Amino acid sequence: MAIITKQKTADRPAPLSETSVLGWLQKNLFSSVFNTVLTLITIFIIYLTLSGVVVWGYLDATFVADKRRECYDNSLTGACWAGVIAWLDNIFYGRYPREEIWRIDFGGLLLVLWMLPLWLARVKGKILIGASVIIFYPFLAGYMFTGGDKGWFMQFMVAGAITAFIINMTNMLVGLLKNTSLDVFLMQLFGQADAGDKTQRNILLAMVAALFVVVFLWQASWNVTEVVWTKWGGLFLTLVISGIGIASSLPLGIFLALGRRSKLPVVRVLSTGFIEVFRSVPLITVLFMATTMFPLFMPEGFVLNKLVQVIIAVILFNACYMAEIVRAGLQAIPKGQFEGAHTIGLGYWGTMGLIIMPQALKHMIPNIVGNIIGLLKDTTLVSIIGLFDILGMLRSISKDVPWVGLHKEPLIFGAVLFFIICFSMSKYSRHLEVKLSAGDKH
Amino acid sequence: MSEQQITGQLASAASTEVMIEINQMNKWYGDFHVLKDIDLTVHKGERFVICGPSGSGKSTLIRCINALEEHQQGDIIVDGIKLGKNLKNLDHIRTEVGMVFQNFNLFPHLTILENLTLGPIWVRKMAKAEAIETAMMYLERVKIPEQADKYPGQMSGGQQQRVAIARSLCMSPKIMLFDEPTSALDPEMIKEVLDVMVELAETGMTMIVVTHEMGFAKTIADEVIFMDEGDIVERNKPVAFFENPEHERTQKFLSQIL
Repeated sequence: MAIITKQKTADRPAPLSETSVLGWLQKNLFSSVFNTVLTLITIFIIYLTLSGVVVWGYLDATFVADKRRECYDNSLTGACWAGVIAWLDNIFYGRYPREEIWRIDFGGLLLVLWMLPLWLARVKGKILIGASVIIFYPFLAGYMFTGGDKGWFMQFMVAGAITAFIINMTNMLVGLLKNTSLDVFLMQLFGQADAGDKTQRNILLAMVAALFVVVFLWQASWNVTEVVWTKWGGLFLTLVISGIGIASSLPLGIFLALGRRSKLPVVRVLSTGFIEVFRSVPLITVLFMATTMFPLFMPEGFVLNKLVQVIIAVILFNACYMAEIVRAGLQAIPKGQFEGAHTIGLGYWGTMGLIIMPQALKHMIPNIVGNIIGLLKDTTLVSIIGLFDILGMLRSISKDVPWVGLHKEPLIFGAVLFFIICFSMSKYSRHLEVKLSAGDKH
Repeated sequence: MSEQQITGQLASAASTEVMIEINQMNKWYGDFHVLKDIDLTVHKGERFVICGPSGSGKSTLIRCINALEEHQQGDIIVDGIKLGKNLKNLDHIRTEVGMVFQNFNLFPHLTILENLTLGPIWVRKMAKAEAIETAMMYLERVKIPEQADKYPGQMSGGQQQRVAIARSLCMSPKIMLFDEPTSALDPEMIKEVLDVMVELAETGMTMIVVTHEMGFAKTIADEVIFMDEGDIVERNKPVAFFENPEHERTQKFLSQIL
């Protein structure tokens, strides 16, 4: 029998089980006798584990000691964090000279400051900022880390980087205070807001050039001392290898993926072959090849340092995984998007760059971040071929005379450190996904 | 409805200038012979409606004109340019020929305005302000200027299809192709799209429309073409086509859809 509602039914509040905490608890944890028992057992297991961890890691632990013996004297059942604390500098910076460590911190701070405007809604010109960080930052940071005599090229790039950085920071301030972009602000300041595009551009170019000359002369007056790469280590080295690896393997991966889908047979076969070969080999093999075999094929006297070889190996290896991620993303784009782009006359690069890639990259974010996290963790393999990355450093603690045999605490510390880094990346990627899917809402 | 539209039929805008010439064109998908010895001449301002059962090759035919599909034999000459392997020609043809798809194929990651200005800015190298002005004019014409800052996913199917038409028009094409523009729409949205297309026809645009909307065909078509299994089976003035279909297959088709 059909009942027909003659009047519009008014909205009523949802039942308590949908909205209150108590309702949620009852529905999800205590819905039946059996589920209640299960919940209680689970809570008990969690309590046992956590209390053990807290007692060992905090209540019974030793934080201040000069050697492992003293930890034992203090408590036999607790962790000996004193060893980890004593080695903190080594864990983060390796054997980098202590009085030069500020250069690493400075490099890190520079990166954060440089990228900061990208997260501020009021700042204009984000694409230029992104481009400047990719083009200039590596040179400035590279020089800060290695030091020594700047060659002509390095002088040029360092000056360019500092110029870009100053412009970027000024632009950020102008954006935050005046809510406009630097070029518009300067034009108003000099009363040229109504001048033609060409005049404005010339004035701006002249100002940039003047700033560059000043910076160039200034940077020529100082150098930082050289720190050879063999002194690099710890988390710093891990981040350098994986950072360069990530930043280079994504673009390379995009080109490999496009190559694999190309209509040109030679390009396609080469890309596919490259991807399949590197993907079918374990990373450790590639690392050994790069450091021991590769120099044998090189002409006499041609010496690349081991770090560069490792970084190249990591880039090539990871680019293949990136390529497959990108390819999967490209395949998810419906054919209609290519056709839509063709009908408004876009060519191959226009279609890819403006229509396909922006959509595909959005789908790829979870996989790309997964790959980045994987790469960061895989980088610890370089400790096997004799670089003292973070894992190498953590394991050296047990060989240090005062702390001999201290394995557990350093490795747990390392695990927590990795967890913090990787988990924040994964959270950030989730945030990016939500933000970028703004156009998908129906 | 159909009676009224026949009386309201648009006057032909056809001139003697040839826009599209297709000579003995053949196309295969692998072994499957999709289009067989197609001959067709379209003059400037002429409006064709193509109909036929599914799989008859009507979509493929107009996709060949836009070089989205490659034909294997015969010639297609669009606005004096012969389609072939020459990529420069392909890009040129695509800017001259606008196309509207069944599934709209708007770019979901761009706003409506960005969808419309992308082609003019990147392909025609138009200044941004000018491109926006043109885009707003066409949005005005398809009656949705207030939606300019929305994303395609936030609009109804009918609105999306009107945006797709405006996007093509922004490239100021000489020819417009429509590939079943109303087939993916809910019934109440079909009319708003057809209205826009009728208005476009009134401006004298050269149009080829694949559609099963017979009332629309009667209103705008200079000629109706019926295709079946890769052949052009019948072509005639709309009144004659619908009242007195000559071919047996046409009669059967019309009896099924009317």
